[in-house]
Amino acid sequence: MLNYTLRRLFTVVPTLLVLIVFSFYLMRLAPGGPFTSEKPLPPSVMANVLERYGMDEPLHVQLWTYIKNIVFHFDFGPSFSQKDRTVNDVIAQGFPVTLTYGFWSAVFVLACGIPLGIIAALRHNSFWDYSMTGLAIFSQIFPNFVLAPIMVLLFTLSWGLLPGGGWNGGQWEYIIMPAVALGTSYMAGVARLTRGSFLEVMNSPFIRTARAKGLPERTIIIRHALKPALLPTLTYMGPVFVYMITGSVFIDVFFSTGGIGQDFIDGAYSRDYSMLLGLAILYSVLTFTLNLLLDLAYAWIDPKVRSKL
Amino acid sequence: MSTAKKQMNAPAYAEAAAEEMITSRSFWADARQRFLKNRMAVVSVLMLVLLVLFAIFGHSLAQWSYEEIDWNVLGKVKTEGGPTLANGHYFGVDELGRDLYARVVQGSQTSLLVGFLAGTASVILGSVLGATAGYFGGRTDQIIMGAYTIWLSIPYIIFFVVWQAFFGRSLTQMILVIILVNWTAGLLIVRGQVMMLKNREFVDAARMLGMSDFAIIFKHLMPNILWVIVIYTSIVIPEVIMMESLVSFLGVGIQEPNTSWGALISEGARTMTFGTLWQLAFPAAFFVIAQVSLYYIGDGLRDALDPKDR
Repeated sequence: MLNYTLRRLFTVVPTLLVLIVFSFYLMRLAPGGPFTSEKPLPPSVMANVLERYGMDEPLHVQLWTYIKNIVFHFDFGPSFSQKDRTVNDVIAQGFPVTLTYGFWSAVFVLACGIPLGIIAALRHNSFWDYSMTGLAIFSQIFPNFVLAPIMVLLFTLSWGLLPGGGWNGGQWEYIIMPAVALGTSYMAGVARLTRGSFLEVMNSPFIRTARAKGLPERTIIIRHALKPALLPTLTYMGPVFVYMITGSVFIDVFFSTGGIGQDFIDGAYSRDYSMLLGLAILYSVLTFTLNLLLDLAYAWIDPKVRSKL
Repeated sequence: MSTAKKQMNAPAYAEAAAEEMITSRSFWADARQRFLKNRMAVVSVLMLVLLVLFAIFGHSLAQWSYEEIDWNVLGKVKTEGGPTLANGHYFGVDELGRDLYARVVQGSQTSLLVGFLAGTASVILGSVLGATAGYFGGRTDQIIMGAYTIWLSIPYIIFFVVWQAFFGRSLTQMILVIILVNWTAGLLIVRGQVMMLKNREFVDAARMLGMSDFAIIFKHLMPNILWVIVIYTSIVIPEVIMMESLVSFLGVGIQEPNTSWGALISEGARTMTFGTLWQLAFPAAFFVIAQVSLYYIGDGLRDALDPKDR
């Protein structure tokens, strides 16, 4: 297991390198830059500014300096557009916000999705089952950027129950809508998947054996059916995490939570090279870490996988 | 001679067998019949055709162009800009007094065009790479699969935003970057299918006839997995439309005055606090109708082409 974890950790290095090198050249080779404006700076001033940010050197030297600073000083460089802040500052301020509602969103996805799926499977072809399928289709069709405005329309503008945006130090009223808007479609996906695998497991021989032993239905479900039925759900959570991280950019922008998504989009507009690269690295590391944790959890649950690690 | 054999040699039997040969339906004809029996799928196809017709011919019904500002309602959008037949703004006007109907038509063109072109192209790219990886195996397979895993661990929006912000936001760029982001579409499933099929006799036979690898992949393997590719395309197209809409919502999509469903929904969401709900409702309705139709078409195709699964 430790061996496997280490091996996985080693693959992250080439992945990040590819990402950094690719994004770096993509951004630098594109026309324009953080200091191009309507009124061009005088060449002497421009030269000074470029020198200040180390942009007067050839590209590969800059890239090397950038990587060196990250590895040895954990320094992602100064922001080009927010003059007095470094990328580290921005991440330190925005990342906890994104992480907080992201965490609650994941809790919402699992805490609602799994029970919904199980209920639908246990009451196969009943009203519950059909409403669940309906919900799944609905949420596939209403992605977060359609759902979020509708939620704000209902809960903020019509009923005045929840604030329509902002963060306010992370009070729970401010977390609900971002978390739900981010999670709904994945919640439905989890429910659908859990339903399918639960149905399959409940029809398998070892459950029949458990029934034949005379175990109560509740014990059968909790002790015997739950673990194997949740395996596909767990695999599904990998892509879900990736999409939730992606979706958080939208949530940050729409709900003005002050998370890193807004800085990312602003950075793209103002050509803030270091900001974009720094946040891109952060997003990828996050994706990678969550996927690794998930794979380890998978191995922990499924002995067949464990033996292969 | 046994009776059974006698029967088989009877001319009537031969005739019946020949008849059967002639009328026996191909896999695709079978699938078509199954698809046509699925009422939801057929209705959805009709809806989608209507949407496409709307996108193509909708402009001829519009009384305004999509970038023209109606100065009569500008400034009083909330009271006079609503949907009405009287001044030719069937869907009302947007924040800037532009005809929303014409803008929805234009947005539908963009979204559908991006969805179908980029969706199909990325599945083709993914399938070709997947088939290459599956057919050749070894080093080729390792390289492609390595790139695949690396790519999956990079959230696509990053790449998308960077690309769009730096290379301009035209329709061509949008389609290009979507294909680039989605190059993994269908790769895994096609690779699996090819790995399964490449050891079959008909591939051996083709190889013995001296056909090149290229010809074997495209003439013998691809037609056999076409059904997988068709199903996958039907899943990817709505995803691509959604991707485009999300990016447009974030403000890095298609450049004004051109628009798309996502951009229109974003404008509507921004202005709904002022009570101009139609600006959100119409684009959102079109988006949702398209997604519902595509969902059921995909569902129907899956049932029709992969009946084992049912």
